[in-house]
Amino acid sequence: MSADNKKGLAKAHEIYSNRGKYAREQKNQGKKIFGYFCCYPPIELLTALDIIPVRILGDMEQPITLADNCLPPVMCIFCRSAFDIGMKGQYDYFDGFVGAHACDGAERTSIIWSNYIKTPCNFHLDIPHTTHDAAVEFFKEQLEYFQKELEKSIGREITPDKLRSAIAAHNHQRALVRQIYELRKLDPPLITGTEMLTVLIATMGMSVQEGNLLIEEVLQEIKQRENVQEKKSRLLIWGSLIDNAAFTELIESSGLNIVIEDTAIGTRPYWHDIRDTKDPLLGIAEHYLKEVLCPRTFRDSGKNYEQDSEQRFSYLKDFAKYWKVDGVFANIIRNCDIHGYEVPVIKDYLNGLGIPVLVIEQDYSTASLESLRTRFQAFAETIAS
Amino acid sequence: MFVAGIDIGSTITKIVISNGMEVRAAMITPTGPEHRRLAFRVMDDALASCFLSFNEVEYIVATGYGRINVPFADQQVTEITCHMRGVHCLFPEVRTIIDIGGQDSKGIKIKDGKQVDFIMNDKCAAGTGRFFEVMTDVLGVKLEEIGPMSLKSEKPASISSLCTVFAEQEVYLRLSEGASVEDILAGLHKANASRIHSMIGKLRIEREVAMTGGGAKNIGLVKAMEDRIGFPIVVPPEPLITGALGAALIAREVAARLTPDQLREKKEKRRLEAVTFFDDPKPGKERLL
Repeated sequence: MSADNKKGLAKAHEIYSNRGKYAREQKNQGKKIFGYFCCYPPIELLTALDIIPVRILGDMEQPITLADNCLPPVMCIFCRSAFDIGMKGQYDYFDGFVGAHACDGAERTSIIWSNYIKTPCNFHLDIPHTTHDAAVEFFKEQLEYFQKELEKSIGREITPDKLRSAIAAHNHQRALVRQIYELRKLDPPLITGTEMLTVLIATMGMSVQEGNLLIEEVLQEIKQRENVQEKKSRLLIWGSLIDNAAFTELIESSGLNIVIEDTAIGTRPYWHDIRDTKDPLLGIAEHYLKEVLCPRTFRDSGKNYEQDSEQRFSYLKDFAKYWKVDGVFANIIRNCDIHGYEVPVIKDYLNGLGIPVLVIEQDYSTASLESLRTRFQAFAETIAS
Repeated sequence: MFVAGIDIGSTITKIVISNGMEVRAAMITPTGPEHRRLAFRVMDDALASCFLSFNEVEYIVATGYGRINVPFADQQVTEITCHMRGVHCLFPEVRTIIDIGGQDSKGIKIKDGKQVDFIMNDKCAAGTGRFFEVMTDVLGVKLEEIGPMSLKSEKPASISSLCTVFAEQEVYLRLSEGASVEDILAGLHKANASRIHSMIGKLRIEREVAMTGGGAKNIGLVKAMEDRIGFPIVVPPEPLITGALGAALIAREVAARLTPDQLREKKEKRRLEAVTFFDDPKPGKERLL
């Protein structure tokens, strides 16, 4: 059955399960599809040219067979997996590829994408790693250049009005996602972590307009629910992304309800709106650099360890308070250096607030998931004791 | 009230049947390939050893890798919680537990009788019982001899690699250089203690420290750990049994909270029978483990 006949959560699940099929259907209807890597490329510019931005993900279910000839096996296995399935032709419907220097793994993967994967056009955004004025200015210049190159390759210009309405549509999507998060404050939450994941991944493969309609349907559907799941200890996930429902299902069947995710398929792309600035590119630059809270960006910190922790992580304190979080799972995809190096300080900070933290460095493979069950169950027992 | 805790580990299975705070039966046996059949046999043997019938046991908690394969258990609890409870009952002053199992190693932090943090290594044989099993094959010594032998060394051999496969190569290299088996064993214990210490160190080690699991039966590893952390380590009289003991303690606690009717209802659903994952070769005939 195609996604057209379904609504809300069922539709989200259908698209989540068949991302490639859905994207190819869109392409057959004459739409342009661009793949983008991680949550840093400003998809508003793609939307402004009526291009559908499709978030590039890996596949935990497939062993890496081709990518290790091109990328060193000591680097992030998520990047390697995404590259691997790209090499296997699973992203062959892309009309363009947008990579970014988000983390080093994403940068290397993006730079060699055009060597091995024949996407018609390739872009690589150099995103600075600090939030100083000079960095914002540099990033804005990068965006101007990106816009020009995009316009050249599509053969159309992005008018300021077009860009403003694209920003407004994406800001609307951000607000809708935050509305779902509101419904997860309830105990038990009105939507499971697994359902949330399928909704977010589905929208990351749709045009913003279609995505917004889907989220509105989901909101209507879940508002009418009662006790969709049992009350369990409430978990916040921080760290590397999770892009497979098998993982969230494992967690939620181990005595925990996922209530909020501070990850790249979670709050990070949605938590703040892009400001309406005179030059729209300035608003975009500031948003992605200052408000998408991945540790790939160094933020100005305090004078000492305590102030530094407080300034950088007080948003987690708010998440914990308002979403009544009982414990935090720090998810580290093996060899994710940017999240790995934050672990001691995050753990210290959250433990200081009385919140237990479970740190797992995982292998990004569904085959090795089951061995993590004992840890999640033991963590649930730790919280309950 | 009789309760039971059964701990099916990757290598060894343990069971404790207790009445109140008194242990009535405790058994330790190798884990075979088929957990379900084994669980039945171990329970049956333990009951026979203390002249109890299955119906007299009020509540059963299963733990360990094989905990989901104990069809007659009333509840499953992870080995992390069970070890913590077992050790805390024996040594209330312990704050840090180092458990060296057959295929994994764990650290558990206790505060006010509750576990507050834990860490597990199950991706690599270094720092687990399996590492030492491999090395005994290489060196041609028995597992129970390696601890005392290593203590005779005055000059531990240098073992730098913590990968089981590469450490094996390093052992061959040291042997070719003429190092004694005692010195090599001491070096292996030192290298593993260092590996385990760096894992447990993430929990911030606090006194007292207890060691459990098969690794705690290896005096060489216990001494090497003590050298590494700089103070004595507490070892239970039978370090293999703490998980099953903890499971029995939890069983007792849960059973005490249930009404007689609830307990009866649970018992009525429970069967002690040999079930299996596999098809029996001859129906109706007991398949040998």
